[in-house]
Amino acid sequence: MTQRTKIDARGAYCPGPLMELIATLKLVEIGDEIEVWSSDKGSANDIPEWVAKVRHEMVGIDECDGYWSIVVRKAK
Amino acid sequence: MTTRPLCILLCSGEHEKIQMAAMMASVAAVSERPVQVLVSMNAVLAFLKEPPDGARYHGGTYSGLMLEKGAPDAVELFQQGKMLGDLQAHVCSMAMDVGGWQEGDLVDDLFDGVMGLTKFLSDAEQAQFITL
Repeated sequence: MTQRTKIDARGAYCPGPLMELIATLKLVEIGDEIEVWSSDKGSANDIPEWVAKVRHEMVGIDECDGYWSIVVRKAK
Repeated sequence: MTTRPLCILLCSGEHEKIQMAAMMASVAAVSERPVQVLVSMNAVLAFLKEPPDGARYHGGTYSGLMLEKGAPDAVELFQQGKMLGDLQAHVCSMAMDVGGWQEGDLVDDLFDGVMGLTKFLSDAEQAQFITL
């Protein structure tokens, strides 16, 4: 069963949210999802770019009230 | 496709340059790109367990802002890059000799040893090379 882990990285500066995502990806199973909350504007572009480069999967990205919710699925 | 390695020669003791080196090294390393870092000259001071005047980072206006706002710590970023990606870090043998330091004087969980410039340049021949 797919699990979703939430990371509240609001207030963290680049590349903090990305590094928190990567550290968490190491701990979860393939197919699991991670939802990152980030108020860092760069993360909205950087995290999808990183996900494409290392061949995980973007599930979605939403701009919320002052932060972005970025959902990534572990693909390998 | 083979990813071109990234080699960073970090010489400056300026916090802003050390921070940028840490950001580039850590992000590249976790992006499946091999990274080699050689730390030399004044930059070594920021990696000592006990910096000479007690302060790890010295810089200008932006350094003050990063410390005030809680930007990620540069040394910790290097350590994260090593833990999560393909990052090797060495310290310059000449800088260590001149400073009178031993490897045990450096922060833990980062350095792979002491290296001379000749070896670093040889390893860097096919890499993208950045000096800060």
